[in-house]
Amino acid sequence: MADAALTVRPRRPRGQSRREAWAHRLFVTPSVLTLLILGLYPLLFIIAAALSESTLGKPFQSWVGADTLAAVLGDADTVAAFLRTVVYALGVSLASLVLGVVVALALQSAVRGGSLVRTLVLLPMFMPPVVVGTLWKLVYNSGGGLLATVVGFFGGDRQAVAPLSSTSWAMPAIGLADVWEWTPLVALLVFTALVAQDHEIVEAARLDGAHGFRLFWSVTLPSIAGVLAAAFFIRLVLAFKVFDLVFMMTSGGPGQATTTSSYEIYQAVFREFDVGKAAAITLVLAVIVTIVTIPVALITRRLQANHE
Amino acid sequence: MSASHPRSRRSRLRLTVPAAAVAALALTLAACSSGAPSAAGTGSAGGADSLNVLMISSHQGAADYLAKRYKEETGITINPTIVPYDQIGNTLDLDQQSGANQYDAAAVWYVSIGDLAADGSIQDLTDWIDSTPAIEKDDFIQSIYDPYSLVDGKRYGLPFDGDSHVLFYNKTILERNGITSPPKTWDEYVQDSKIVTQNEGANGVYGNVIFGQKSPLILGASFANRLAGFGGTFVDAQGKPTINSPQAVQAAQSLVDALGSAYPTPAETDFGAGNTAWYAGKAAFIENWTDLGVGSQINPASTVKDQWGVVPLPVGGSNTTPRASLVAGFTWVVSANTKKTQEAKDFIQWATSSKINEELLTADPQTGIDPNRSSTLNSTSYAQKYPELAEVNHTSLNGTLPWPTGKNATKAAEVLTDELANLIAGQENAQQALDKVQAQWEQLLG
Repeated sequence: MADAALTVRPRRPRGQSRREAWAHRLFVTPSVLTLLILGLYPLLFIIAAALSESTLGKPFQSWVGADTLAAVLGDADTVAAFLRTVVYALGVSLASLVLGVVVALALQSAVRGGSLVRTLVLLPMFMPPVVVGTLWKLVYNSGGGLLATVVGFFGGDRQAVAPLSSTSWAMPAIGLADVWEWTPLVALLVFTALVAQDHEIVEAARLDGAHGFRLFWSVTLPSIAGVLAAAFFIRLVLAFKVFDLVFMMTSGGPGQATTTSSYEIYQAVFREFDVGKAAAITLVLAVIVTIVTIPVALITRRLQANHE
Repeated sequence: MSASHPRSRRSRLRLTVPAAAVAALALTLAACSSGAPSAAGTGSAGGADSLNVLMISSHQGAADYLAKRYKEETGITINPTIVPYDQIGNTLDLDQQSGANQYDAAAVWYVSIGDLAADGSIQDLTDWIDSTPAIEKDDFIQSIYDPYSLVDGKRYGLPFDGDSHVLFYNKTILERNGITSPPKTWDEYVQDSKIVTQNEGANGVYGNVIFGQKSPLILGASFANRLAGFGGTFVDAQGKPTINSPQAVQAAQSLVDALGSAYPTPAETDFGAGNTAWYAGKAAFIENWTDLGVGSQINPASTVKDQWGVVPLPVGGSNTTPRASLVAGFTWVVSANTKKTQEAKDFIQWATSSKINEELLTADPQTGIDPNRSSTLNSTSYAQKYPELAEVNHTSLNGTLPWPTGKNATKAAEVLTDELANLIAGQENAQQALDKVQAQWEQLLG
């Protein structure tokens, strides 16, 4: 009897149960509404626009089915922009990750007197991308920019230094500006993880003779791997969005050398008034971003779970 | 606890996939929306004694002048909102489509009026123009009146900034290099440019400025100038694309031939960079609007005062008659949803009048406005103050090369610009680039 009494769930009055249920619904309503407004509405809008003839002034004029999507996927320039965007995003994200770790380790070493250094290092992240684009455009300016001046100082041909006019170098040049701008974010995340490390383990490893790279590789890296993966994921998403730098530095040129998918979307909407085409590119890009980021997200979760 | 892990991972995966998809979409949307430069000013519906107008940054001087003068004459306040030249069409379109309806009138790129009309963002002004003799429509320069206002038999605007590119040359640089007269053909232009760059390139002085930044109003203009010179057209009399004609291919090749002697670097050169080089005396030739001559005389940055000359754009191939290419003309339109239609019409009638156009042409500081009327082109004040500009305008505005202006014209301009960008980047040759444009234009323009 005593066991049976233990398994019996205490009954609550029916009215109280209903009130609690409604209270729960009330509390989750803002979240649900936010999700619907921020996620579902744009998704439905984009799908509808991609499947219809839609201009800036008159969306949803007529149903065109998958015609626009087919046209987008059949356009060599647009497909090239998708590939360019993926390669760019992966490249700058990896570069930011490596540099971010290096900077974070340096910051950790300078933790005692380094508040000013930390602030300075983080400064690029706080700058508006438009300013970053302008700044780096000036750096690359062949008519007296920093790069040309340095090359000239060492006896090189200043006028030959024009990376933004080169189909080979324009994208890396934008990537360098991007890495400069967002590496501090990675450094900040990694630095936080380093500070939160269990110092007893590190000390124990040191006592066992681990130092330098060996200590980092065998002890530090495994303990911050989850954060690294998360930082890479965030950086990857930021890199896929790149628009401002392209807009400010090259307008997608020379030729199509720096035309990313985000820039193509902007061009379709605001310069061609073609919302349908922009929506179709957006849908395809969303699929690509999802395909690329899901493995990263899963790795992040696994690493974080392992660490826990 | 361990048994619950696999289920947890599956559920995480189920959550991760849609969450990542939604996140990606939201981020893409954010990227799309955040890129649009916002208007420099803020409009407001205002009272009956004010009007909100949309203008481009190159017309800042004109905006200030018009606001001041209209206030003096009528007591009505003009609130100009200034946007970049390639943003005015979409800003007006979005304003009307969103229901914000901030703008009563706008001075838009004439190529966009077909799309704005198709989107229902601007008003059909045909009846008003026909029934208002005071507009003096016959006084508009006839070679620009139709392209700047007419779409499918209806008139949507009044010409404001009569656009015509001409060729400016630096007399001092030509003299230094033994060039005795400005070029009459594009081949001569290329040859003269090479001479200057070879002789003085090391000193930072170049034969020409090529506006090559990837924008219809910039790179598109550089090509259109040559297309006009070689006697080509964008479309034929029936509106069918002719953009890969032999003349067009010659024009594109001539553009490529000029790149080697251009002020560095052509692919990055926009109006700001190019005009700065000209004012600094760093280029022998520059294709530009006639108001560059005004700037050369009165702009504080100019070092070329009284050192420049101007001629009509060169010719090429079998064509021997200079023509102006209507590259970046602007026309006043009345927004579709304004509650001040009559006030807006009154304003654009005044702003495009002979009297105001003449004032804008000779104003100091410069306003960036070219002649829109025959009477102002022939006016004494313009001829006295800028005789060379008046003469060259006379010569080149007799026959003009307009861009297509109907529905999809803005998209067609972008298509052309993209391929021209590939051309000057060396990724395609002239024939390949224009064949691709022709194929796309046949779908867009019919």
